Amino acid sequence: MSTDHFSVQSADPGLAEAKTIIGTCNHFGFCTATCPTYAITHHENESPRGRIDLIRIMLETPGAPAPQTVRHLDNCLSCLACVSTCGVKVDYMHLIDHARAYIELHYWRSWTDRLFRFLIAKIVPDRRYFGAALAGGRLVARFARFMPRQVRELLEAVPPASNGAQDVTAGSYRAAGTMRWRVALLAGCAQRVLTPQINAATVRLLTRLGCEVVVAHGAECCGALTLHMGRTSEARASAKRNIDAWIDEAERGGLDAIIVNASGCGTTMKDYGHAFRHDPRYHERAQRVAALTVDVSEFIDRIGLHAPSVARHYKVAYHDACSLRNGQRVTRQPRRLLRSAGYVVVDVPEAGFCCGSAGTYNLLQPQIARQLGERKSRHAESTGAAMLAVGNVGCITQLSRYTQLPVVHTVELLDWATGGPMPPGLKGRRIQECIMHPEASHDAAGLISASEGETATGIGVW
Amino acid sequence: MRQNQEEFFADIARELGAAALDVSPEARRRYGENTTTRGTRDVLGVVFPKSTAEVVTIVAAANRHQVPIYPISAGNNIGLGSRAPVRDGQVVVDMGWHMSRISEVNEELGYAVIEPGVTFQKLHDELVRLGDRLMISATSGPPLGSVLGNAVEKGAGYGPHFDHFGMLCGLEVVLGNAEVVRTGEGSVRPDKVVNWHVSKYSFGPILDGLFAQSNFGIVTRAAVWLLPRPPVIESFHFVFPADDDLATIVDLIRPLKMSNFVPTLFRVCNDLYAVGTEETNPEYERTRGRQSLSVDAHTALRAKHGLGAWQVSGAFYGPSRAALAPMIERVRAHFGRAQVGRFVSHEEAQSIPPLNIAIDSMSGRPGSAELALLKWRPGGGNTWFTPGIPMSGKLAQELDRLGRAIYAEHGLDYTIMHVAGARFARSLHVLVFNRNDPDENHRADECYRRLAREYANRGIGVGRAPIDYHQEHMDMLMPSFKATCNSIKRALDPNGIIAPGRYGIG
Repeated sequence: MSTDHFSVQSADPGLAEAKTIIGTCNHFGFCTATCPTYAITHHENESPRGRIDLIRIMLETPGAPAPQTVRHLDNCLSCLACVSTCGVKVDYMHLIDHARAYIELHYWRSWTDRLFRFLIAKIVPDRRYFGAALAGGRLVARFARFMPRQVRELLEAVPPASNGAQDVTAGSYRAAGTMRWRVALLAGCAQRVLTPQINAATVRLLTRLGCEVVVAHGAECCGALTLHMGRTSEARASAKRNIDAWIDEAERGGLDAIIVNASGCGTTMKDYGHAFRHDPRYHERAQRVAALTVDVSEFIDRIGLHAPSVARHYKVAYHDACSLRNGQRVTRQPRRLLRSAGYVVVDVPEAGFCCGSAGTYNLLQPQIARQLGERKSRHAESTGAAMLAVGNVGCITQLSRYTQLPVVHTVELLDWATGGPMPPGLKGRRIQECIMHPEASHDAAGLISASEGETATGIGVW
Repeated sequence: MRQNQEEFFADIARELGAAALDVSPEARRRYGENTTTRGTRDVLGVVFPKSTAEVVTIVAAANRHQVPIYPISAGNNIGLGSRAPVRDGQVVVDMGWHMSRISEVNEELGYAVIEPGVTFQKLHDELVRLGDRLMISATSGPPLGSVLGNAVEKGAGYGPHFDHFGMLCGLEVVLGNAEVVRTGEGSVRPDKVVNWHVSKYSFGPILDGLFAQSNFGIVTRAAVWLLPRPPVIESFHFVFPADDDLATIVDLIRPLKMSNFVPTLFRVCNDLYAVGTEETNPEYERTRGRQSLSVDAHTALRAKHGLGAWQVSGAFYGPSRAALAPMIERVRAHFGRAQVGRFVSHEEAQSIPPLNIAIDSMSGRPGSAELALLKWRPGGGNTWFTPGIPMSGKLAQELDRLGRAIYAEHGLDYTIMHVAGARFARSLHVLVFNRNDPDENHRADECYRRLAREYANRGIGVGRAPIDYHQEHMDMLMPSFKATCNSIKRALDPNGIIAPGRYGIG
C-alpha cells in the first residue's frame, strides 16, 4: 500500500476531492444501520464505512482494483441514506461517484459485464432505443423460461406497456388564465417511455396553476444514469446539452424554475454546479441551472395548490424516493400537497430504506434489488393504504413489480384532485375511499397526530 | 487464537450455523473501534443470535470454553464505548441484527413487547403504521439506537415516559449460568402471560433492577410502556443571555415540574450544545485545538443563530392549540418574572434547528440532527460526562462554574445540556476532541478524570460512563457496594463470562 500512489493520482482534481472526503470519515458507524446492504448482510464491507475504507485502499494501491472491492462498491445503491445520519456529514455522494469512475477506468470487467453495461448506458437514456428495446423485451419475455437466469431476470424487469398515455412534446404549453410563472420541464428519457402520463399530468397541473411550461428542444437525459455507472464523460455530455437548452430558454423568455418530476434526475441536476466546477466554460451556466432546478413538489408547495375540485378521500401511502429524501431533503412538501388535495397520507415504515430501484441498480444487481423491493412492498401494503404515491419513475417501476397496490406519481394524484383525469395506474382497480377524516392523517414532520380538538380516544383523554 | 477460543467458535458454527459467526479482520476491527480516549479494543469475533434459545446456546458454550462474551443490542452507544467491550479479548454477541422483533403491541394497555434489536425508529414506524395512537419516548440520539439497550443502560427521553428503565415491565433474561429467568409475573406460567407486562410489584423481590447497568445477565426481551399520542403537542422555549442565568432557570423550572404543570422534562442547553449541531469550531485552526473557544466567538455564534447562553425548552400535550394557549401563557408569565429570558414560540422554534430537535424529541419522533454535535472539532473523539444536580439553582450554578473552568484548563469547549425534572437534572457534558492528536486526546482524558474526581469529591456520581472509566467510577463507590456487586456476579455468572469489567464488575 502506498499513499504516494494516491498523491500522484491526486493531481486529478476528482481524486484529490476523494482523498479529502475520505479524510472526513470518523468511523462513527451511524451509517451502517441505515445502509440497506449492511442491514441485509451485516457485512462491514457492505456498509458505507467499509466502502470508504475500500475506496481508500483502492486509490492508495497501484494497479487494478481488487475484484471483491469492485463487487462491494457495485453493491452500493447510492441511496445516500448514510448521509442522512452521518455525524460529520461525509460527502459520500461524490465519493462513490469518483470511485465508480475510477473503476470504470482501471478495472477490466468480464466481456459480458462490459457488454451489458455498455448496452444499458446507450439504450436507457435514449428514448427511441429504449422504447424499441422494451417492445422487443416484451416479445422475448414470452419465451423467458427458455433463457439463461441472467437474461430471465432482465426480462422480468421489463414493465408492461403503458396504458396508451400520451407523452408531452417539445414546445411551450400556455398557462390557463393569467401567466404567473414561466418554467421549463425536464421531460427526461426513460420516464417518457415507461410512464409518459407523469409528464402529461405535470403539464396539466402546472398550466392550471398559472405556469407557462416549456419543454426545451435538446433537453433530454440529465446524465444521472451514466454518472452512477462511472461513465463520467457521457454524463457530462448529456448535462451540457441540457444546460445549453435551458440557458437558451432562460435568455429567450426568462425562467422561474426548471421543474423535475423524476427525483433521481433532480438530485443530479441540483449538483450540476459541482459537476462542472473545473470547467471554466460551463461552471457558471451549470450553477445557474442548478439554482433554478426544483422538484415539482417543491415548486407547487411554493406557489400553492388550488383547492381540490373533488375531495379524494383515499388513503395514500407515501414512499420517499431516496433521491428526494436523502439527496434533496424534500419530505414535507409532497405530503403537505397530497393532504391539501384531500388524501389521507400515511408513511411507509422504514421510510429511509431504498426500494431497490436506484437508477439502473435493479438491472445490474437484481438479487439485492428484489429483496429490497419485496421488503418495501410488504411495508407499504401493511399500512392498509389504497395506493402508493411516489415522486420518482424508478421507484414506480420497481415497486409495481412487487406490490399489489397501484403505484402512481404524486403529481398524478394532485392533477386528478384538481380537475385532471384519473391516473392510468388506477383505472380498472378497485380502490376504497377512506372513512378517516383527512385531518386525522399525521405528518411525519408535523405535530398533529389525531384530529385537533379531540379530547378523548379509546386510549387517552386530554 | 487460543485453543479454547477456537473450540468456542467451532461449537457456535456447529450449533448455530456458520452464518451466525463473523471473525473477519474487518468485523473484529470495527466492533472494537470506539470514540473514547483509550481507543480500539481487541475483539475476538462476533456472534449473531436469532433468539433467546440461541443466546442460551452461546452462553453455555462460553461457559464451557471460558470465553468472555460481550452482548450488545442495536445502535452505536456513541461517546460511551460504541460496540466495543470494556476489555480486550471478548466475543461480541450482537443481538441487533436478527433479534429485532416487535412481538406484540397492546394498544388497549399501552405497551409493546420487544427484543434488543428493536430501534427507536422501528418501534416508532410500527406505532405509526398502527394508526399513530401511541408514541415512543424518543431520545435525541440516533434513531437506530435500541429501545431496550437504552433502557437497561438507564438512558432517558424527554416526555412523561422519560425514565426508560422505569417504563420497562417484565424482562426475560439469560443469566451467566445459562438459565433463563423472567422477572415479575412472567414466571407464574411462562405459557400464560397475563400481568407480566402490566405489573411490576408482584410476589417476591423486584429482580429487574439487577439488569440495569450490570453484567449479570443478557436481557433478551421486555415490554416497554407507551404513552397515548395527544392530538396536539405544543412546545415553548426561552433564550437566556448570560452564563450565570442557570441558577434562575433551575429555580424557575423546579416548581413547574414539582406540581407537574408541565408534562415534559426541560431541556436546558448551553450555547455550544445548541449551535454545535450547525457549526464547527471557528477557531480550531488558529488555536490548533489547544484553547477553549473565546468569549468573542461565543458571542458571535449566539448572535448568528439568535440564541443565548442557555436555551430552555418544554412542551404541553393536549386536545387543541386553543386548550393549550392558556398553559403556554401561564408558563410565559412564570418565566417572565425573571425579566431576562426571551420567549420563543413553537412556530418560531420550528425554524431554528437546535430548538426543533427539542420539539421532535418531546413529540416522540426520532431524529438524527443532534449527531452533528460530533463534528464540532475534527478527529472524531467523543466522550460524555454525565453527573447530575439537584434542582437547586445555587448549587447548579456553582457546579456550572466548576465544569466550565475544568474544560478551559484543558483547552476544550464547554458543551452541556441539563435535562431537568422536579428534583433532579441529568447534566450531559459533551467532550468533543481530536483523537488523532495525541495531546488533545490526552487532555480530553485528563479533563474527564478531573471532572469525575471533582464531582465525586462533592458527593456526585455519574449516570452513565464511557467504558474507559467504568473501573474508576466503581472504585469511587464504597467497598461494600463493589463487594455486593461482585457477590451477585459470582452467584449468577460463576465463570464470569458476561462482559467482565463492565461497570467495574467481575
